[in-house]
Formats: sequence, structure tokens, C-alpha cells
Amino acid sequence: MSAVARWVVAKLGAAILVVWIVATLVFFALRLSGDPLEAILGGPGSQAGEETVQAAIDAYALDQPLAWQYLLQLKDIATLQLGDSFARRQPVVDLLAAQLPRTLALAAISLGVAWAIAVTGSVIQAASRGRTGIVVGAIMRGLEIVASVMPQFWLGAVLIMVLSSGLGWLPATSAGPGAAALVMPVITLAIPIAGFLSQVSRDALDDADAAPFAVTARARGAGEIRVLLRHTLRHASLPAIALSGWAFGNLLSGAVVVEVLFARPGLGRLLQEAALARDVPVVIGAVVVVALMYVVVITLTDAIELAADPRLRGRARAHRSSEIAVGT
Amino acid sequence: MRSLRRALPVAALASAALLISACSAGADAPGGDAGAPDEGGTLVYATGDAEPTCLDPHVGGNYPQGLISTQYLEPLFGRDSSGEIVPWLAESGDVSDDGLTWTITLRDDISFTDGTPFDAEAVKANIEHLQDPDTASSTGYLSVKEVSDVEVIDETHVALHLESPKSSLLEVLSQQWSAMQSPAGIERGMEANCQAPIGTGPFIVESWTPQQSVTMIRNDDYVPTNPELDHDGGALVDALEWRFIPDAATRQAALASGEVNVIDNPLPTDIAAAEDQGLTHIDAPRPAAANRIELNSSQAPFDDRDVREAFIRAADPGPGIETLFAGTTARSFSVLSSAEPFALSDEELFRTDVDEANELLDDAGWTTRDDDGVRTKDGERLTVRFPVSTNQSTVAEQSLFEQIQANTAEVGFDVELQPSDLSTWYGALASYEYEAVSAPYTTVGPDVLRILYHSDGTVPAPSGYFANNAQLTDSDLDRLLTDALATTDPDERADLYTQAQRIVLDSLTVLPLYDQQNHFLTHGVEGVTTLHTISTPTFVNAALTD
Repeated sequence: MSAVARWVVAKLGAAILVVWIVATLVFFALRLSGDPLEAILGGPGSQAGEETVQAAIDAYALDQPLAWQYLLQLKDIATLQLGDSFARRQPVVDLLAAQLPRTLALAAISLGVAWAIAVTGSVIQAASRGRTGIVVGAIMRGLEIVASVMPQFWLGAVLIMVLSSGLGWLPATSAGPGAAALVMPVITLAIPIAGFLSQVSRDALDDADAAPFAVTARARGAGEIRVLLRHTLRHASLPAIALSGWAFGNLLSGAVVVEVLFARPGLGRLLQEAALARDVPVVIGAVVVVALMYVVVITLTDAIELAADPRLRGRARAHRSSEIAVGT
Repeated sequence: MRSLRRALPVAALASAALLISACSAGADAPGGDAGAPDEGGTLVYATGDAEPTCLDPHVGGNYPQGLISTQYLEPLFGRDSSGEIVPWLAESGDVSDDGLTWTITLRDDISFTDGTPFDAEAVKANIEHLQDPDTASSTGYLSVKEVSDVEVIDETHVALHLESPKSSLLEVLSQQWSAMQSPAGIERGMEANCQAPIGTGPFIVESWTPQQSVTMIRNDDYVPTNPELDHDGGALVDALEWRFIPDAATRQAALASGEVNVIDNPLPTDIAAAEDQGLTHIDAPRPAAANRIELNSSQAPFDDRDVREAFIRAADPGPGIETLFAGTTARSFSVLSSAEPFALSDEELFRTDVDEANELLDDAGWTTRDDDGVRTKDGERLTVRFPVSTNQSTVAEQSLFEQIQANTAEVGFDVELQPSDLSTWYGALASYEYEAVSAPYTTVGPDVLRILYHSDGTVPAPSGYFANNAQLTDSDLDRLLTDALATTDPDERADLYTQAQRIVLDSLTVLPLYDQQNHFLTHGVEGVTTLHTISTPTFVNAALTD
């Protein structure tokens, strides 16, 4: 088996393991904490008659032992049959397909904006040297800390208050098409992520900046921006790339908050509403999809890291030549 | 008689034709009556209630479905502001002397928006749809539970044969959950019908984008039946966009900025500030029961009436209601909503008296106190488990419960507020793990007293649900409520329901708080009114002003 094939098999195995664990946890958490009949009969506190309750039990095999129902559920997932929503009475696949693209777009744009903010910060930092550099560094450090601890529900609410209620520049909700509707949700999601990305990349930048290759480049007469773009930024980006996988997962969970706050359709809101309604098939479907997305993104960031850092490639290709790689 | 009946359809057709021409003439006339408002345009409504999972209110049957279906489905009967039954799709309803047969006369000039005629067969199909287990109806099913047979007499007459008398039948049929929809629509099957039920209302469901909005367009062939209608013809606006905005602050911002025209579930502080912002406030308390705290009389410590009285004397919710609700609602001293004509109020019974509370508890044997100041008796603490539904209790109401917790702690109660999601909350009730609870119940009419306080209500439904949270079992009360259900004489009903309320009030198992809150704020629109059934808004008279 080639190295690539081994790598693919390992990733696939990990993905299956993750899906199985997540589906199991969600299944038992939902089933042991409440009655799925509620979702079928129009919410908790149903006053439906005996025959109605029996019809629902029969339709979804709810009188079978829980372990058997669990196995049925696993079989459905394995055969990619996500079933019908208890509450909405529509195929789960349709519900997910309708909402997934919007959430993915929101998360991807937010991640891009967070990166843009972090890189801009690095450029500003690199361009300012000496005493100014120290002041700029201190200010940025402060901003990064504030940004990274800012709760999204709070940040979003403040944005609505200022930009929508106060200034009337943007719509309060993000349901409609158009770029204006995306501005506040993206800012809300991007700012805390940008704080984290900027923090780790600036630390790495500081290290790279003092490394011999940067000193040499300067000695050859390269300007600060050139040193940054040609030499140090690549180093500074490595931890940020690794962090982006985590950030994407964070964005998907942040989407729950943002989609509810800005009344934006998406997977997060679907998941939240389904969980409250104990709509088991929808919750399992949504969580499995999110878990798979996460595996895909982590795999992607691994690949990007390999592309950005030849040292890793060297290590992956041949263990015996691992001593060669020294910063270029 | 027979010949007259045959002549009716002809007369109906003629009058329908007249009406239609009148409608179109009215719609064509520019300006309208008020002058200022524009005709046409799209009215945007934003709801904070959960998005319905099915737009057919027969399926399940919750308030969000009632809200939206008011725009496209219509019931057989309505109610006026004094609580009197008024005709809607039906012209009249008459009960036999034994109370077992209701003969309902239907209007003969109405069609569903798919062209299916509204007739006796349609009524039969609707009631059978509600009773069909596959419909999984919960609320609408309760309205027609006693109906054993629907007999089609002729096109415009239908007889409902009941297993037991039900004087409240027309009241419960006025609810949106048993509204009429096209039999041909129902025939399409649940999945299609859930997406776009077909009714007779002023709007037609055009499309539903989940989590975003439902788009409804004007029913140009609307036959005026809505008792709220103040003009000829149908709705004035061309379309209705029904948006789902779960967050209250976002909803308010969208309203203030003109993004939407009407919102529901505004925060009390936003209601109080509405006038200064140029917003119009509509206060439409829901009918039937008031919001109230019920004390579980089936187990200690509230199986002792004196302990219940002590709790009520110490709770003192009045000041909290005034401040937390920013003056948007008034304290209630009645089990029934102020929208119910038979409501009996007794302010003196719910007076606050901390000294009396302490004496009552001393006399009841709760004489010792532990280190936390909680009274004890035979080693048991005076604990009150109080599950709070965070779905149903607003933030203001939850704060009110915290004040009651603090007030009753003064006299030695240990109230454990347990905030929980709806499912956990119902679970706690179903397993009797509560001493106090606030459970809203929406229906129409005083028969809610039977649902909430008849001893039958202590028997769990197949889902485990029971409505009698006070666990009242009183044979005199049962008899009064059963008798009230069997008589349609208004005076007799009033008398029986008054006596029944007296018993419920005197049991001190209930602490009334306020009417079930139901507020709307509007912006850039006029003519929005609410129905006197389940207090849902209707936009049949609404016109945009900006």
C-alpha cells in the first residue's frame, strides 16, 4: 500500500469512528433524556388520544428495545438513510441539504475575514519598528485578548444595537440575500477567531523575525514588508493554519448562536430547534454532517500545512532524512 | 321546506355573484375609505414563537400554528368582544334537548381557494381528519373528541352526534386548531398539506422557506366571513410575509427600523417604550385561563390547606408584576382570563399577610427552622419544588418567580426554582416531582375550568400529560363542571361556572397572576386587530401607511 493510500485509509477510518461515536452519544443522550413521541405528536404535553399515540409508536418502532432501535439507527446511518424528521415529516437529507450550504458559506466567509484581519495585523506589526513597534505591539496584544474573549451573543447584540437600531445602516436580520445581510453575522463570528489567529501568528512571527534567515535577508537589504511576505509570514502562518481547523469547528458551533440571533436560516438553527423538539433523526443527521465537515476540514488543514512547510513533507516522505530540514 | 332547500343553492349562487362583483369593484376603487393608507404592498410579520413544523393546525396543534393559520384557514364560528359566539363559516348551531346532537347550518357561498366547495361534506372530512390517529392531532382532537358521528343532512346542514353533551362545542370549534380546510387539500397527504394547507381565508399559502419565512398572497376571491372585517372584499395588502425571528431584541430592532411591520412577543420594556418610538401596541390577552401558580394538593406539604394559604399570604406577586412588566399588565385575582365573560375575581382572598402566614405555618406544625431559616417538621424541610418552563415563562415571569421565592423564604419556605426545557418540564410534572407550577393553557371559553380542575384531569393522557396540576379532586366541583357542559342556557351556565370557580378559588390551590400575555407591536401599518377566539391577529383590514 502506498503512503497516500495509507493516509487516505487512516483518515477514512478516523471519520467513521468519529461518526459512530457522535451518533451513539447523541442517540442515547436524546433518548434517555426524553420521549421522542413528543416530537411526533406536536411537542411535549400532547393530549393526543390512545390510537394516535399507538400509531406513532408503530410507525417509528418505538416499542422495540432501545438497543435494537440503536442498531436500526446505526444501520440507517451506515446505509446513508437519515430517515424522516419526526416533527417536520420531511426527509432529513432534504432539510440538511437546504441549510448546509448557507452555514458553510457563513463559516467560510467568516474564516476568510478572520484571516484577513490577522494578516493585516501582522503587516502593520511588521511595518512598524523600534519604539512605534513596541507601542503597536502592546495595542494589538490588548485588542487580540479583548477580541478572543468576546462572547458572540454579546458582540452580535451590540452590533444590532449600534448598526441597525442606532445608525440604521444594516438590516437587523440576515435572512434575505445580499451582502449587507451578511456583514453583522460575519463580523460577529470573525472577530473572536481573528483574535486567536492573530495571537498565535504574531508569536510565531516574533520568533521568525529573530531567526537567522530573517536577519540575513535584512542584511542583504530587503525591506520589512519584503521580509514579511517572502520569508517570515510563511512561518507565522503555520500555527494559524493548524488553528484554522479548530476555528472552523468553532465557527460551526458559533453559527448556532449567530443564526438564532440574526434570524438567519442554517444548519445551526436547524440543529438547535430539532434538539429542543427532540427530533432525533434531524439531530443525529445534523450532528453527523457537522462531524464529517470537521474531519474534512482537519484533513484539509493538514494538507495545507504540508504544502506550506516543506519540513513536514520531508518528515512524511522519509524518516531517515529528517535531520536536513533547517529553516529556509 | 324541501323546496326552499332546493332553491337555496340558486339564491346562494346569485348572492355570491353579487358579492364577487361588489368585491372587485371595492378593490378597484383607489384610495379606499381612510385615505392615508395605501392599498397593496407586502405586510411583513415577525414571530418569536417557534416555527411551526407543519402549517396545518390539525396536525399536533400549538399556538404558532394557530397564529399563522389564522391568515389562511377559517373556523366555523367566531367570538365577539363580549365572548358571544358569532357565525363565521357556519351560520348557526342548534343543539337538541338532550344535548347530544348539534345541527350546524353552513354558509352556502364559500369555496376553498382550490375551488372545492365548502359544504357539509367538507365539514365531515375535517372532523374525520382531526379524529384520524394518523393526523396526530392533539389540540383540535380535543374539540371533537366526543363527536361519534358526522351526519351530512344536505349541502348546508351537518349534524354532529355526540357521545356526551358538550355545551362548549361552538366555543372550541371557534379555535384555529379545528379550522376548516379543503378536503382535496387533505387528500394530498400529510407532507403536501403541511407545506400549504388550503383554506377559505383572506390569504393563500404560496411558499415556505424553512427558518426564514412563509409567503402568503392575497385571496382575490375572498368571500367576507371574518367577523372582524370592516370593509367589502378581502385583504387590502397584496401579500403577507411571515418571518421567523427568534431573538426578541433582533425582532424589536427589525420593527423599529421598518424591516418588519408587526412583531409578537415583545419584551415588556419594549412595550413600555413603544409609544415614544412611534410604534403601536396591541394588548390581546388570551382567553380561557389566566396565568397562575398551581399548588399540588396531592402531596406534602401542600396537601394541607393551611400551608397553601401560608404560601399565598407570603408570595406577594403584586409589586413584582407592576415593576417587571413595566405596567403592561394588571394583577389577576381570577382563575379565568379577563376575556371570559364568566370570570369570577376575589381580590381579598389573595391578600398578602406575612404575620398570618407565619401563624398558619406554626399552627400546621412547621415550627422549627434549620440553619438556612427554612421551616422543618418531623425532620422534613418545607421545600417547594417549582419546575419553570423556560420556553413558556418569559424572562419577566421567571424574575417574578424569583421574587416569590424570596418573599416566601421570609416565612420559611424553601422554593426550588428548576428552570428547564419543555420536555424536562413536562417530565417533572408527569412524575409528580413538583409542589408548585405555572402552566399556561390556551383554549376558548370557561370549559377550561373542567379541563384544568375536574378530577378527570388528574388521570394522565396516553403521553403521560395531565392538565389538573393542582390535583384537585372534588366531587361537588366535578358535578358543577359536568352540569355546566350539559346546559346551553347562558344564565344557568353563568351560575354553574361561578359556583365552580368559587370552589377552585376557596381551595387555595391556585394563585392567579395575570392574563396570559399576548402583545403585538406594529409599525407602518394600520387596521391590525385580533380575533376574540385565541387572540391571534388578523390582517384582513390591515393597510400599509408608509
